[in-house]
Amino acid sequence: MNDQDLASAVNHSAPEVTAPAFDKVWANAEMSYLQSRRRYAWLASAAATAAAVVIVLNIGTPPSDNIKFVELAELMESTSWIAPSDSLLPEHQIDLYQDLPTLIESTEPAEGALL
Amino acid sequence: MRDGDALENNPAVTRSALEAIHGQVFGWALSRCFYDQAAAEDLMQQAYVELLSGNARFDNKSSLKTFVFSVVQNLARSRYRRLASRLRLVKTYEATSFEQPVEMNEPGRDSDQGKRNSAIWEHVQQLPPRQRDIVELVFCRELTVEAASAVMGVTSGTGRVHYDRAKKALREKIGELQ
Repeated sequence: MNDQDLASAVNHSAPEVTAPAFDKVWANAEMSYLQSRRRYAWLASAAATAAAVVIVLNIGTPPSDNIKFVELAELMESTSWIAPSDSLLPEHQIDLYQDLPTLIESTEPAEGALL
Repeated sequence: MRDGDALENNPAVTRSALEAIHGQVFGWALSRCFYDQAAAEDLMQQAYVELLSGNARFDNKSSLKTFVFSVVQNLARSRYRRLASRLRLVKTYEATSFEQPVEMNEPGRDSDQGKRNSAIWEHVQQLPPRQRDIVELVFCRELTVEAASAVMGVTSGTGRVHYDRAKKALREKIGELQ
């Protein structure tokens, strides 16, 4: 069986197709397309109207008079920091400043060798 | 420059060109919908909406017939993918196959020739899906193997392999009938 015979056999065995009228399917498609376009147009116009209303309301409302500025002094008083070692100063102030240890110079020789 | 009946969003497509291939495209749509007439009509309508809206834009890279067949194939694929995912749960509990071809009751199928044709068509339906599709596109819808491969979304080489395997399988099966 060559290709042509096979093609013919398969083609004849295929169920017969009765297509619906093109005009009917096309008209339905056009209607569906127009409906979806109208729907999108309606949604777009609704969104645009909502955006316009929000903008108009924002522009129409005067800015509030109760604007609060930050006072620098107030801001500086609102925060503080102390070193952790500051707690030692009242009791050990003299010791800390007067009894500073002397460090041996590491570059000086001691008994012929560098420390 | 648009032809008189060219589509607004698809200037390379004319209404008359679509009308000329309407019957063949419907045959393909019917096959994609397991021979459910109403579903095929719905699919055709959806394909035309895609063309009207310009979502599926024809740019003369292939023939219009190949292009419209591809649109139908893609729509059917996405539609049945959604449906298949919904039916997966049902299928788990039911043994019936979702892809089982619908029985065709046509007049004249009871004669000897009719029975032979039914048997041949049954063999075509029993081929693996890609082989079945390419046989249908080439033998019944008169596309070339290259165009059929494009519709199926495979390369020409892959399409040719499916085509050759399908022909071999069908020759054996039809040989057994004689």
